[in-house]
Amino acid sequence: MQNSKSRSLLFTTITVVYAMLILFPVFWMWSYAFKSEADMFARPTVWLFTPTLEHFDYMIENGFHHYLINSLIVSAASTVLVVIIGTPAAYAFARYRSMKLRDDLFLFVLATRMAPPVCLVIPYYLLYSKFDLLDTYLGLIIVYLTFNLSFYVWVLSSFCRDLPLELEEAARTEGYSRIGAFVKVLLPLLRSGITATAVLCFIFAWNEFMYAFLLGGQTVKTLPVGIPSLITTQGVRWGEMAIIGMVGTIPVMIVVFFLQKHIVRGLTMGAVKG
Amino acid sequence: MTKISARQSSAAETAPVDETADYYRESPWYPYALIAPTMVTLTVVALLPFLYMGWISLHEARYGQIGDFAGFSNFMTLLGDARFWNSMKVAGLFVAIAVPIEFMLGLVGALVLSQNIRFRNVLVPFLFIPSMMAPIIVGLVWKTMLAGSWGFFSYNILERFGILSGTSVFASPDLALYGLIFVDVWQWTPFMVLTFFAGMQALPASPFRAAQVDGANPVQIFFRLTLPMLAPLLFVIGLLRLIDAFKIYDTIYILTNGGPGITTESPSVLGYKYTFDFWEIGTASALAVVIWIIFFAFCNIFYQIAKRRLNVF
Repeated sequence: MQNSKSRSLLFTTITVVYAMLILFPVFWMWSYAFKSEADMFARPTVWLFTPTLEHFDYMIENGFHHYLINSLIVSAASTVLVVIIGTPAAYAFARYRSMKLRDDLFLFVLATRMAPPVCLVIPYYLLYSKFDLLDTYLGLIIVYLTFNLSFYVWVLSSFCRDLPLELEEAARTEGYSRIGAFVKVLLPLLRSGITATAVLCFIFAWNEFMYAFLLGGQTVKTLPVGIPSLITTQGVRWGEMAIIGMVGTIPVMIVVFFLQKHIVRGLTMGAVKG
Repeated sequence: MTKISARQSSAAETAPVDETADYYRESPWYPYALIAPTMVTLTVVALLPFLYMGWISLHEARYGQIGDFAGFSNFMTLLGDARFWNSMKVAGLFVAIAVPIEFMLGLVGALVLSQNIRFRNVLVPFLFIPSMMAPIIVGLVWKTMLAGSWGFFSYNILERFGILSGTSVFASPDLALYGLIFVDVWQWTPFMVLTFFAGMQALPASPFRAAQVDGANPVQIFFRLTLPMLAPLLFVIGLLRLIDAFKIYDTIYILTNGGPGITTESPSVLGYKYTFDFWEIGTASALAVVIWIIFFAFCNIFYQIAKRRLNVF
């Protein structure tokens, strides 16, 4: 008994130390948001410092809060769109497995998810400059569908497969139509799956850099795009970058705490159920 | 829970019985009506742009002007460009070093995590954070940690051992790629740990009990039972990481942008430079087509394995 106790303590310690190794660099970067330049560049490293808000003042003065609003608008809008378009498809792929061409269509959906952004950014750039969609909310919302819609359909489909078929049969014998059974009986059961997958879509859009960087521009800049824009000819504004890093990571942390059960499934495209 | 069948691969693999066939016969068009909005959307936002790009790749195209039909000359230009082969080498090295390290550490971590750990539910979310963070922010974290002379890691660890005094890992042609690999390992190992842990939790218990009754030691159990039963899962995750690592752009952009020289120029970074630095749209499109073909092959393998061996999808 004593032996297993100390073993458990040892492994707990290992895990705790590992978690700290992961978190330390993140929080250290956050600290730059409150450090004066003198404290940042000090050698040896300064552990205790007087916090300053000068970087925050600079951000507000230069309208960086618009970046935050842009990020929220684009991420939320693209997520809502994905849920509306993708939910029926996810259900159909899970349920109607003998549908002709099912595997081919499903693979096509996967391929759009896996496509590297650099592949699509070229045609998008040319098309958007033709149709005046560069630097618009709509432009980014559309391009985010490429990876988020396919992701949503795949992962929600794996949630749909967990629903027992008998439920639907029971609803049908109760006199519900096909659509009625889906809306009244299955959707309530899918709620947690839909929420989890949609929130992951939100985070992917929130984190997205390349499309936002190349297809956004002056008026529609998202938070990640703010990072390279702070590398200026007068020098690098580390403190301001750290603020973006902090603001950009906070929602991710919140999500991780509420959704930990579903993240593995999400990041493995439904191949592993967490 | 996932059912990972421990059957040998020699056994006939049959698809699971489809109990929805009756519904399907009821009205064959219904499922198509359900997937139509998604299919139409994906065709418009992904397939058509891709075909357009394929069309561009067969034409002379520079500075946003599409010129005459050029056959495969863009592909010839690409294949004759040393930078293209260099980018493939960079991606190959990156994947060949980073992914195996992440795998080993992931397996070790999953074994540690499956021990009797206190506060596991409190600790697990922390391990998810790096893999959910924006890659550009991960890049920023390590840009500061490994900054020359004042970065926390550079100063407190590397300089202690007299490595790279006053300069950054990312400024060194020999070490920049390894720096990027280190960042990738930092970001993705925790996720591997949690995925393998989830996979181990889902394994059936009876073979393990039987093995213990027969007096197998932990090492034997791991290599004879756990590992073979996890094999399809490992394969699928490996493919996913391979695809992801091949796509890497954001972290490289902020840390090195392909430099010093072209030592860390991944295919994505090169594609970006072809397009927006040199305006060689035709060559860039050819590169994108090549990348996509490679990817499609990977996707297909991923799907087949996951469907047949893991009985998901």
